[in-house]
Amino acid sequence: MKALRLILILIALAVLIAVPWFGSDVLIQFGINALLLAVLAQGWNIIGGYTGYASFGNSAFYGLGSYGVGIAMVQWELPFGVGLAFGVVLSVVFAILLGLPVLRLRGHYFAIATLALAQVMAAIVSNVKLAGQNIGLVLPPLNNDMLFYELALALLVAVTLTIWWLSRSKFGFGLIAIRENEEGAAVMGVNTTLYKVMAFALSGVFSALAGGIHAYWVTFIDPESAFDISLNVKMIIMAVFGGPGTVLGPIVGAFSLSAISEVLSSEVTSIAGLFFGIVVVAAVVLMPRGLADIVRQFRKTGWRYFSENIKATRL
Amino acid sequence: MSAILDVQNVTRRFAGLIAVNNVSFSLQPKEILGIIGPNGAGKTTLISLISGTVAPSAGDILFEGKSINSLQTYQRARIGIGRTFQIMRPFPGLSVLDNVAVGALFGHGGGESQLSRAREMARAQLDFVGLGAFVDQRADELGGPGRKRLELAKALAMQPKVLLCDEVMAGLNHVEIDEVIDVIRKVRDEGISILVIEHVIKAIKSLSDRLMVLHHGEKIADGDPDTVLSNQAVVEAYLGKRRA
Repeated sequence: MKALRLILILIALAVLIAVPWFGSDVLIQFGINALLLAVLAQGWNIIGGYTGYASFGNSAFYGLGSYGVGIAMVQWELPFGVGLAFGVVLSVVFAILLGLPVLRLRGHYFAIATLALAQVMAAIVSNVKLAGQNIGLVLPPLNNDMLFYELALALLVAVTLTIWWLSRSKFGFGLIAIRENEEGAAVMGVNTTLYKVMAFALSGVFSALAGGIHAYWVTFIDPESAFDISLNVKMIIMAVFGGPGTVLGPIVGAFSLSAISEVLSSEVTSIAGLFFGIVVVAAVVLMPRGLADIVRQFRKTGWRYFSENIKATRL
Repeated sequence: MSAILDVQNVTRRFAGLIAVNNVSFSLQPKEILGIIGPNGAGKTTLISLISGTVAPSAGDILFEGKSINSLQTYQRARIGIGRTFQIMRPFPGLSVLDNVAVGALFGHGGGESQLSRAREMARAQLDFVGLGAFVDQRADELGGPGRKRLELAKALAMQPKVLLCDEVMAGLNHVEIDEVIDVIRKVRDEGISILVIEHVIKAIKSLSDRLMVLHHGEKIADGDPDTVLSNQAVVEAYLGKRRA
């Protein structure tokens, strides 16, 4: 059973790696977007899914990653890799400085406080000359979608391996204990403050890398698009749709929702948003614990799974 | 004889209410100290003060001769203070085994770093408290008595030097109480000092080496269980004043 699962995952990975060789340009571009969204959903999974802190601040990390690459490449004429590293440093510093006060809040208060982070960052960046103020930065173009695709895929593999390690390590158990019961975790010896900040930073590192790759790919960043709060909403929906706190759930969520949204926007163009909303609402009602939970429970309960969830939401 | 835990003139106020008022006592190595008192006497607050989830308004707490007032909750766990909660707080989404493994992974001395080793230790601890058959269940599927034992196993997996038990017998029937008493005695035989808060007077009388009574946050008696339970102030605290 375990071997079978591993083989399936490896086959899926091989297919994903091969996409640029047989896919059309449109498919590759869709792939880059879907892969980066999956990385963001996985990044959110670390702080939101495993640690239980529903962060709305991850788009701030994404923006910092974008601007790390933008500033390094445009203003300092440094290579892309250095820009990525710069973005990572920025987001780690940000996670520590803002995580310490913000992670003291719990539940809704944490969500509200982090909601402001991206907005504040957009306002700050709009006034920084080095970051091109509100006009933004134009990066040197690199017309190589294949490279961006494989980079995004490599990043997704890296974040997923990190989460797989989390799910079976002392650090990950500490995070799960914090999610399940923070006071109980502290009483058992978990350094909750340190663990939360580390989870926030780790989540930020991957979000920043995704932002950096995206910035170089689209060759243009401005405060509006880099610190976009709706991107944060997307990653949460995708992670929760797939199954927060699982190793593969958020990837499945990101891919399936990206595909659904792509099909909708080409089929019913103008009202795609409406249909997408319906899909999300249906998902929340029918499978509140994500796709991963269906896979686990369906064999036991069958179709009753859905009717029971409907009953539980008291519709 | 040096006490392992020394509570010195500790006071805790919650706004206008004085939950614990100038309480001093000490716990000797390998001793079982029972604390009783009516509802609202400050028993749970006292345990929270020692484990660090509540900070004292005044006074000092010494562990092995050193003040632990400045230590955070997790640091107190690492020097060897384990506690259970009266309102059971399992990690609901985790299996019974992994709930206890968290104690082994962290806990006294910083815990075990290998998950597989921690699970082995957890399994042994669950067998010890009589939950060996439930290792794979989710913690929130356990019933009340099971959860009480789980609380105990989680604290024991931390390999503490001092175990603080907050009403681990409440809600259990006679047979279950006898089993828990048996477990606590065995824990003491392993060299752990134990502080037990309890409502069930009969149980605590037979278990404790020494008994202390709290009333309205103040210590009103401390000593041999039989003497303490026949003390006039204690009887009044529990049954009210005899009307002349």
